[in-house]
Amino acid sequence: MSTPVLAQPASDAPVVARPTVGQRLTSFMPVIALVVLLAALTVVDPGFFTLSSLTAAVRTAAPLVVLAAGATVVVLCGGIDLSIAALCSLATVFFALWLPDLGGLTTLAIVAVAGAIGALQGVAHVLLRIPSFIVTLGGMSIFSAIALVISDAGPIPVSDRGTTHWLTLYVAGVLPMAFVVALVVVAVVSLVLRLTPVGSWVRAIGYSESAARLAGSPVDLVKVGAFTLSGACAGLAAVMLVSRNFSGSPTMADNLLLPAVAAIVVGGTAITGGHGSLWRSLAGALVVTLLRVGLPIVGVPSAYEQILYGAIIVAAVALTLDRSKVLIIK
Amino acid sequence: MTTNLQTGPVPGGRTAPPALEVRGLVKHYPGVKALDGVDLVVHQNEVLGLAGENGAGKSTLLKALVGLVRPDAGEIWVRGERVRLRSVVDAANHGLGMVFQEQSLVPNLTAAENIVLGSEGPGVRRGIYHWRTMRRLAQEQLDKIGSHIDPLARTDSLSFADRQMVEIAKVLRIEERTSHPPVIILDEPTSVLESKEIETLFTQVRRLREFASVVFVSHRLDEVLDVCDRVAVLRGGRSVGEVPAAGAAPAELHRMMIGSTGSDDHYHDGLAERSEEPGRPRLVVRGLSGRTFRDVDLEVRAGEIVGIVGVHGSGREDLCRALFGAEATTAGEVQLDGERLDLSGTRAACAAGIGYVPAERKTEGMVGPMSVADNMTLTKQQARCSGPLVRPRKQATLVDTWIERLSIRTPHRGTAIQRLSGGNQQKVVLARWLVSGDVRLLLLDHPTRGLDIGARSEVYRLMRELAGSGVATVLLADSLEEAIGMSDRIVVMSDGRATTEIAAPSGGKPTPLDLVKEMV
Repeated sequence: MSTPVLAQPASDAPVVARPTVGQRLTSFMPVIALVVLLAALTVVDPGFFTLSSLTAAVRTAAPLVVLAAGATVVVLCGGIDLSIAALCSLATVFFALWLPDLGGLTTLAIVAVAGAIGALQGVAHVLLRIPSFIVTLGGMSIFSAIALVISDAGPIPVSDRGTTHWLTLYVAGVLPMAFVVALVVVAVVSLVLRLTPVGSWVRAIGYSESAARLAGSPVDLVKVGAFTLSGACAGLAAVMLVSRNFSGSPTMADNLLLPAVAAIVVGGTAITGGHGSLWRSLAGALVVTLLRVGLPIVGVPSAYEQILYGAIIVAAVALTLDRSKVLIIK
Repeated sequence: MTTNLQTGPVPGGRTAPPALEVRGLVKHYPGVKALDGVDLVVHQNEVLGLAGENGAGKSTLLKALVGLVRPDAGEIWVRGERVRLRSVVDAANHGLGMVFQEQSLVPNLTAAENIVLGSEGPGVRRGIYHWRTMRRLAQEQLDKIGSHIDPLARTDSLSFADRQMVEIAKVLRIEERTSHPPVIILDEPTSVLESKEIETLFTQVRRLREFASVVFVSHRLDEVLDVCDRVAVLRGGRSVGEVPAAGAAPAELHRMMIGSTGSDDHYHDGLAERSEEPGRPRLVVRGLSGRTFRDVDLEVRAGEIVGIVGVHGSGREDLCRALFGAEATTAGEVQLDGERLDLSGTRAACAAGIGYVPAERKTEGMVGPMSVADNMTLTKQQARCSGPLVRPRKQATLVDTWIERLSIRTPHRGTAIQRLSGGNQQKVVLARWLVSGDVRLLLLDHPTRGLDIGARSEVYRLMRELAGSGVATVLLADSLEEAIGMSDRIVVMSDGRATTEIAAPSGGKPTPLDLVKEMV
C-alpha cells in the first residue's frame, strides 16, 4: 500500500507543446490548394501548364491580389472592409475623368484619394463606434451610387494610354508588371508588419481589442491606418484595371468583392482577426484566380462562378474558424 | 440490492483489494504538469477526503477517475483490476460516478427524467418514454438515499440541496451497471449549500458509506475532517501525504496543502518600506467625478501602497480605470508628480508612467495567442526597437532578463502566453510595465484573482519590491485580508465617494471588521 510522505518539490520544466500534424497542414493549406489546383487543371487540359497561360493567370490576378492585400490588414484588426470593390470601381471612373487634367499624376492622385476615402471610413468606424461591417456596407452603396452619377452610368473610355502603359509591360519578358507591383505591395506591407511595432499592434487589436487598448496600443490610429491602406489598395487596383480595359466604369470592379474576401479566408486569415498574413491572401488570390480560369476548362459555365465564391467563403471560414478554436480557445 | 457485505472492509488486515487505487498518475497540459505522479487509495465503504489548493490537481484527478481526462501515464485499479477509462460511460461501467461541482442536471426536465437521462433502460419502450416505469425507476433511486423529493417536480423548481440529492440519486444509477459497490465522487458538494443543508448532505454521505465508497472534495477543511475517515492531500500535482480524519486539526492539513515553509509573512510585510520620512506625494486626485464616482480626493505617495476597498457598486473599479484614461471623467483634476495628467486615453497614461493591471486577465490583461515576449513588450515598444524597427535580439535579451528576474515559468519567451499558468501570466502582465523602468504609478485591479497561494505570494513580493523602489501603488484587493495585509493606507469607497481613510502601517493593521463598518 502506498502511503506517500512529503514528496520532493515538483520540477519546473514545463512541456513544450508542438503543433500537431493537422495544425501544420492547415497552415500550409493555401499553398497545398494552389499546387493541387495547378496539377488538376494540367491533368484536365495539358495545354494549361504553359508559360503563356500562367502569365495570363497572374496578370488577371494582380488587381485581386492588391485588393485582398489591403483588406487583409483590416481583417487582421478584427474588422472587415466590404467597400473595396465599389471604391475600386469609383476610382476607375475618377481615373478616366481626371486623366485629361492631371496626366502623369493621375495614378498618384487616385491612390491618395482612395486612401483618404478609406481613412474617412476608418474615422467613422472609430469615432462613431459603428461596426466596420456597417460602415463599409454603407460606403459600398454610396461609392457605387456616386460612380454611377458622375459617369452617367456608363463606361468612360481612356484615350491616353501612355500613363498606364508601364503596368502592361513585362519584367524579364514573362512577369507582368502589374503582378510585380502587387507582389511589391504585399512584400512592403508584410515587412512593415514584421519589422515594426505595427505588427504587434495589429495582432493584439485583432485578438483582443480591449487588451490592446489597456496596454496603451494606439488602437484607433492603427485601425484608421488599416482602412486607409485598404482604400489606397483599392485605388491602385483601379489603376491596374484601367490599364487593362482602357476605360473607367462604375461597375468595373464590383464582381471582385466576393473573390477578394474569398482570397483572404482561403488563405487562412481568421475572419475574427489576429491570425493571418498578406502572403496567405496572395496565395488565396491565386487559388481563386485559378478556380476562375479553371471553370471554363473543366466545362462549367462562368455563370456558376458566384456560386463557387459563396461556397468557398463559407467552407474556408468553417475551416479557419475550426482551427482558431483549437489554437485560440483553450 | 444496495449492500454487499462480502466486499466490506475486512477487520484486521486488509485482504480485499481497495475499491479504487491510483498509481503514479501523470497528466501534462501545455506548460503545466497538472498531475505529477499521484497515488491514491480508496478503501471499500470509506469516505476519503481530498484536499489541496487551487491548482493542486484535484479536478484533473477527479476528471481522470470518471474518464473525462486521459492520463499520460500511471494506472487506475478498481477492486484489484486495472482499468482504462475512456469516457464517463466507461467509468460508470466500472462503478465510478461523479456528482459535478457545477450541477449537471437539465433544469427544464423533471427530477425523474433527469435521474434516468442517459440510462433510460426499461423507461423507454420502442423509442417512446414509458412514464410510469420512469417514475418507478426514479423513485427507486430516491428511496435509496431516503429522499422525499417528488420525482415529477421540475428540476428548476427544486432547491439547490434537493437538486444535489437528485444528482446523487442519478449517479447511483451506475449500480445497475456493476455487481459491486460503486465509488461516488462528490466535487465541492457544499459550496452552494447553507449550513442546515450541509448537515443533510453529511447524513447522506454517511448513509452512502453503508453501500459505497465516497471521495469527498471540499475546500472547507473543517467539513472534510468532519465527514471523512481519512484525508489525502495534493500539492502541485503530487500526493504529499494523508492523515486519519479523527484527531487531525485543520491547521495541520492547511500546512500540508501550502507546503511546510511558513506562510508567517504571507504579505511580505518584512519588505515593507520603513523609512521615517514618507515619500513625496506622487498621485494627487482632486474632486474627480465620473459615471459611477463623485468628487473623489486621493493621494498616494511614492513607495506607498494604498488599498481601496468598497462593496460592489462603490465605483472603485471605474475610478481606477479613469486614472488610466480608460473611463471618462466629468470633473476634477489629477496630478502625477506635480504635473497635470492627461486623462483622455490609455496611451497618454502609459506615456506618463502609469501602469494598469486589469481584473479580467484573460480578456483584458493579456493577448492570449501572442507570445510571452510580445505581450511583455506590447506597451513599451521603444524598449525593443531601434528607431522604427523592432530588434529581435534586443527584445530577446530584455524579455529573458525579466523572465529570470520574476522567475516566470515558461518553456520559452516565444510561447503563447495563454499556455502559462495564471500566476505566470500575471507576472508577464506586470512585467509589461516594468521593462522600460519608467513606471511611477501602478493601478492594480484584483491582481491576484484566480491565483493559487504560491503565485499570490510571488505577486505580493513583487509589489513590495516595486514599492521599495519608489513606485506608488493603488490596490483593489481580492479580499479584505489582502487589502489589510498589503496596504500602508486604506481608502474606503461607498456609493462612488471616498468616505474614510484608515492607516494600516505594519504593526498597526486594522481588522476586517473595522473596514466593514465603514463600507456599508
